[in-house]
Amino acid sequence: MVVLKSLHPPSEGVRLQQADTTAVLDGKRLGSGTLFVAEAHLSWFDGSGMGFCLEYPSISLHAISRDLSAFPEEHLYVMVTAELDDEAEAEQQDKASDDEESDSDSEDSGTITEIRFVPSDKAALEPMFSAMCDCQALHPDPDDADTDDDDYEGEEYDVEEAEQEQGRGQGDIPTFYTYEEGLSHLTSEGQATLDRLEGMLAQSVAQQYHMAGVRTDVPSVEFEDGMEVDSSTVTGQFDDADVDHW
Amino acid sequence: MDVSHSIRERTIAENSLVILLQGLHGQVTTVDLRDESTARGSVINVDAFMNIRLEKVLYRDRRGRVSSMDDLFITGRNVRYVHIPDSMNIIETIETQLAKIHRVRNFGASGGRKEYSKKK
Repeated sequence: MVVLKSLHPPSEGVRLQQADTTAVLDGKRLGSGTLFVAEAHLSWFDGSGMGFCLEYPSISLHAISRDLSAFPEEHLYVMVTAELDDEAEAEQQDKASDDEESDSDSEDSGTITEIRFVPSDKAALEPMFSAMCDCQALHPDPDDADTDDDDYEGEEYDVEEAEQEQGRGQGDIPTFYTYEEGLSHLTSEGQATLDRLEGMLAQSVAQQYHMAGVRTDVPSVEFEDGMEVDSSTVTGQFDDADVDHW
Repeated sequence: MDVSHSIRERTIAENSLVILLQGLHGQVTTVDLRDESTARGSVINVDAFMNIRLEKVLYRDRRGRVSSMDDLFITGRNVRYVHIPDSMNIIETIETQLAKIHRVRNFGASGGRKEYSKKK
């Protein structure tokens, strides 16, 4: 099934790279090379740049095998199944493997290919296994009817529901947002309110500012014209003011 | 087994029987695959997509050859059956798992500051 092609090793999303790894395909040793566990594909290349590439959805299972009676070396076992609807590939495999193997009789799940990756460094088996698990999780079954985009919305409703349930005894406790999160939740009304409040805050600070000078309890807004006069007579009066505004 | 950190996985689990499988953590079970091979070992993890991770596994392939594996990851798509141990109380397990998910979601709600779990 898997023919060695001249391919390029993956350039991005490489979770793990393991050199000095022999690949054994359905019992046939392909020599030593480098295994690439990348987020998009699983691939292996021998010394001459020839290799093969596997798609994660086609991998049924992978495992660390330390059972020396099954295979003389500890290795990473990978089982690849052809897809049911991939008839062309299945036919091709039947033709190719007819003389070689006796198990080419059509199974319900199509033809199975067993690949063993034998690293010279046996300690690498666990990281190789984990990297594959992580990448497999990135490729969930697209045919699975349960995976719905509605699930996201379901989560939000649940949160509100839970708040209401909790609200019986603790409804007064507000939900706190960080500044950015809060801003993104504002309606246009909310934004108007925020602007008004900020304006009021700004004014009250301005009042404090001018309180350092002559006028104390008179709002500065009413004396806009007078402000010009003030500035000419009290220039420098606020130099020591701590209020750092505008 | 910890509740998944992903909102999507928690929601999927909550709405399907996968949540029962997630309660199998630590139990020794047999998983029958679609290709009629079987794997028996202790459950390390089951995610929302029914990908199953087992350890100390006795794997019998469809031809009947048995081998042992230290660590086995089965793609959810290839699972046909998961044998629930007789000793396990199914309803209780489902309820416990649901409670775990709700605890994670409502974390801090009773204390005042609610963490708004938002994916960035």
